[in-house]
Amino acid sequence: MTTLRTTTPAGVPTPPWDPPAPRMAARAEAATKVYGHGDTAVRALDQVTVGFPAGRFTAIMGPSGSGKSTLMHCVAGLDTLTSGKVFVGDIELGSLSDRQLTVVRRTRLGFVFQAFNLIPTLSALENITLPIRLAGRKPDRAWLDGVIDTVGLRGRLSHRPSELSGGQQQRVAVARALASRPEVIFADEPTGNLDSRTAAEILTFMRRAVDDLGQTIVMVTHDPVAASYADTVVFLADGRITDELPAPTPERVLDRMKEIDR
Amino acid sequence: MSGRERGSGPSGRERGSGPSGRERGSGPSGRERGSRMSAMVTVTRKGVWAHKRRLLATCTAVVLGVAFLVGTLVVGDTARKGFDTLFVQANDGIDAMVRGDLELGSDEERQRNPIDAGVLDVVRAVDGVAAAVPSIEGTAQLVAADGERLGGDGPPTLAGNWIDDPELNPYRLVEGRAPAAPGEVVIDRRSSREGDLPVGSTTTVFTPEPVTVTVVGTATFGDVDSLGPTTYVAFTLEDAARHLMGAPGRLSGVAVRAAPGVGEDELVARLARVLPEGTEAVTGTQLTDEANAQIESDFLGFFETLLLVFAGIALLVATFSIYNTFSILVAQRSREAALLRAIGASRGQVLRSITAEALVVGVVASVLGIAAGIGLAAGLLALLDASGMAMPDADLTVRTGTVVAGAAVGVLVTLVASVAPAVRGSRVPPLAALRDVALDRSGTSRVRAVLGVLTTGAGVAVVLSAALAGGDASRVETAAVGAALCLVGMVVLGPVVARPAAAVLGAPLPLVRGLSGAMARGNAMRNPRRTAGTAAALMVGVAVVALFTTLAASLKTSIAETGARTVRGDLVIASRDFSGAGLAPSMVEQVRALPEVEAAVGIGFGTVLVDGEAEDVSVADPEGLTAVVDLDERAGSMEALAADELAVSEHKADAEGWVLGQRIPVTFGDGATAELRVAATYGARDLLGDLVLPTDAYAPHVQQRRLDVVGIRSAAGVTTEEARAAVQRVAEAAGAPDVQDRDEYIDSVGEEVDQALAIVYGLLVLAVVIALMGIANTLALSIHERTRELGLLRAVGQTRRQTRTMVRWESVILAVFGTLGGVGLGLFLGWGLVESTSSAAGIGAFTAPVGQLGVIVAIGAAAGVLAGVRPALRAARVDVLRAISAD
Repeated sequence: MTTLRTTTPAGVPTPPWDPPAPRMAARAEAATKVYGHGDTAVRALDQVTVGFPAGRFTAIMGPSGSGKSTLMHCVAGLDTLTSGKVFVGDIELGSLSDRQLTVVRRTRLGFVFQAFNLIPTLSALENITLPIRLAGRKPDRAWLDGVIDTVGLRGRLSHRPSELSGGQQQRVAVARALASRPEVIFADEPTGNLDSRTAAEILTFMRRAVDDLGQTIVMVTHDPVAASYADTVVFLADGRITDELPAPTPERVLDRMKEIDR
Repeated sequence: MSGRERGSGPSGRERGSGPSGRERGSGPSGRERGSRMSAMVTVTRKGVWAHKRRLLATCTAVVLGVAFLVGTLVVGDTARKGFDTLFVQANDGIDAMVRGDLELGSDEERQRNPIDAGVLDVVRAVDGVAAAVPSIEGTAQLVAADGERLGGDGPPTLAGNWIDDPELNPYRLVEGRAPAAPGEVVIDRRSSREGDLPVGSTTTVFTPEPVTVTVVGTATFGDVDSLGPTTYVAFTLEDAARHLMGAPGRLSGVAVRAAPGVGEDELVARLARVLPEGTEAVTGTQLTDEANAQIESDFLGFFETLLLVFAGIALLVATFSIYNTFSILVAQRSREAALLRAIGASRGQVLRSITAEALVVGVVASVLGIAAGIGLAAGLLALLDASGMAMPDADLTVRTGTVVAGAAVGVLVTLVASVAPAVRGSRVPPLAALRDVALDRSGTSRVRAVLGVLTTGAGVAVVLSAALAGGDASRVETAAVGAALCLVGMVVLGPVVARPAAAVLGAPLPLVRGLSGAMARGNAMRNPRRTAGTAAALMVGVAVVALFTTLAASLKTSIAETGARTVRGDLVIASRDFSGAGLAPSMVEQVRALPEVEAAVGIGFGTVLVDGEAEDVSVADPEGLTAVVDLDERAGSMEALAADELAVSEHKADAEGWVLGQRIPVTFGDGATAELRVAATYGARDLLGDLVLPTDAYAPHVQQRRLDVVGIRSAAGVTTEEARAAVQRVAEAAGAPDVQDRDEYIDSVGEEVDQALAIVYGLLVLAVVIALMGIANTLALSIHERTRELGLLRAVGQTRRQTRTMVRWESVILAVFGTLGGVGLGLFLGWGLVESTSSAAGIGAFTAPVGQLGVIVAIGAAAGVLAGVRPALRAARVDVLRAISAD
């Protein structure tokens, strides 16, 4: 970890090196999410307590229906918990109004989705600066240039999404997530629609964003190869955290997944 | 049919969630075993059901248009039947009517030559006549207890002699007695009630000379309080002759009842053999037919045609709206169509499926529209009833033809509007099912651009040629053809210009509304055909509004110019009544006698026959005429017109080849013919027309002389205000309190144009409402289509307010685009019409009503905000999670 990571968006100086107890960029405390009522109730999240350390790349894995997307949506303020708390930085999201949540999303969070990531009427550059402009701010030119160069989109800025390949579209999405210097970027299966080579490209960008720019990324995936780009993999099954794997490799991730299936 | 057991499925699923993408794939699965036809029927049925809410919105446009149409026809038929019942009743006991054989006059004022009272004895002597009574008909306006004139705003103010034979008099005494002495009258019960004139009260009637009368009785027409909205005053025979016939010894006619066994036709035949020249006999049936024909041509026919024209405009706007909705629905479901094609449906099957859907919409909407139209008619008639204009027979008349017409128009409009979208939908290649086809980006093809430019250009050229050539009436028809071409051309061209137009119109938005504004602009630009289709509906409505506004402004300018040029007097007394008694000639004498007045001239209008042709004439006192009006005298002196002379416009003289001193044979309303000498010619024909007769030439031949305008010049050394005060006193005593100065008078004539314009605006509201609903509908569909995108925007930080702003401004751009197109088209066509009619219709000066048109654009923009309210709310309510995670 080197350059650029000297201040948070709030301007509070943070220690440049990993502290003994890493600061959590986002976390959940006893998060429980129940869909439906009575007999048909489904516990998508069951007393989940988890933290996502700042400046780290965390992957959330689990089989379909394990609650991984629900966890991400709740921590990102897109969905509300039945009980428990979620925090972004020190802000408890449960107490916020829709407007306040929106402001948190556009100032402190970034998003990369599996598909339909971009607004078709806007150019690549306009898409990248969208959250900043929605907040009514001016983009930080130098930072923006850095981001654009990092994802290698310099020559494509005036193109519309329909004129870009799938990989390029996802790169624009990553750039958009980075552009507002959020505290956390949430990525929901960002490579789910891409071939393995393009997927590797995107994951490399995300990795570099963490290493070079000090970004915090939380990524939901079911692909062991994608998960292996993370610093830590959190495993989820039946709405509960079952395991955590530091320094993952595809093989080890696959092994753990098999264990869960058993 | 294997689909049957699943029939209840969509209803349960759709009720909660509204139309979603989920049902798309479910259509054809498992139905292959059924016959192909029934499979497509199932697909259609489920398609209609799944999109019922959107289709309902589409329906609304048709429902409103059909309701307007049906409502108009029902009101017209009901009124027609009501009047027919009345006239049949009025003439019930009359088997024949003997009357003058010459009819002259305009719509408001018709008169027959009077007959000699001696005819009565001739008639009574005819074998087969059981009874014959003298009949005098005229007009007289009652003054209510509060001093206001009763009626006169359209329905006639009838007057006559009281007929004692109850079988020949449709009026029935319900209180008091028949008039027996001079000054006694019977009035209809409604006038008695509304004018607060009970039996025993004394009031004035204007014939138009003021007559003091005592109400000695009230009567009903048959068993209703009055003959429709008319008022009625019955004098004694002697009074009636004096006040309504101009001289004693004259009658309007003789009403005859036949002896038993003598038919109407037989009676008339016998009468005809003995009647003197200048009289004729007609049957009671013919009398009723004539009355019906007259009410048709005077009022009902015009009224109905006017309403039908506006119903047509509303339906045209509805057609655009439906076309647009179907286009969007088809585009959104192109994947479904492609899937159907991929699993083996033919193009024809897809086409038929979409057409069938349109048919269902058309039928449902027509049925609703017919029901709504009948309700509308009932409401309107109840409203007329409540406002005292009771139609005689309130039973709604719904003809089969009306229902058929409503249904046919509703279904046809829907089908026509859906043809193009259906064809487009059937052309979706099966491969599209495997790709992501979201937008229909058609609409900017070169063919369309060329076609649009050519059509518009041709239209413009036609209008220009008509306008620049100017002159006669046939030019107006040419201009109308050009107008239609322009409209078609602009509709074709719409999608081509929509993108740049939205870009230009939306250009200020990013500055004013920031990113939300910029995105609103982008959204308005992204789908030109949709933008154009939505705007076209509004354009049509607004174009008509702008056209009428322009015509009205031009007319007002012409009136003001004419007034400024020709009115010389300081003061004017103008008749305020549309169909009342008018102004009394005796008042002019009194005004003229005032020391504050130098000249006072009474002007009236009438009709004569010249060489057998009916001609409108102005009748004026020559003395002082040039002091109150400037007619641009060319030859001779109008001031010196004698009783056997007349003045002719130079235009007319040239056209007819008349020269000064020539004698012209003129036949008057009483049947008398005189040779009048052309003694003067004048240039300005827009105020008094082509023929001006001196009062002395005309007055002896009319039964009830009335004036429309009195022009007054104040004496030297007297201020206008002093003169006005003096004239006011005289005029008030004569029941005409509205004394205006020159400017007020000119303005007041212009105000009549505004009143007419207000009615037109009222009738156009529906068309504009339909267009705005079209905008709301299009936006709602677009928003449904962009759910995912809206969810993404919300996820990355767009606030609900920003979302609403974005949608609202898109709506405003659409509305302003349509409004501007309409204003431009309407203004141009208005210019074309004004220029092509100019000399004929007296609208000489084209005027662009810049202020009013600006207001129309502003209202268009505001309406855009209004139309965007609901879609904006829906967009802001998009569930972020569902939007981004839904597959």
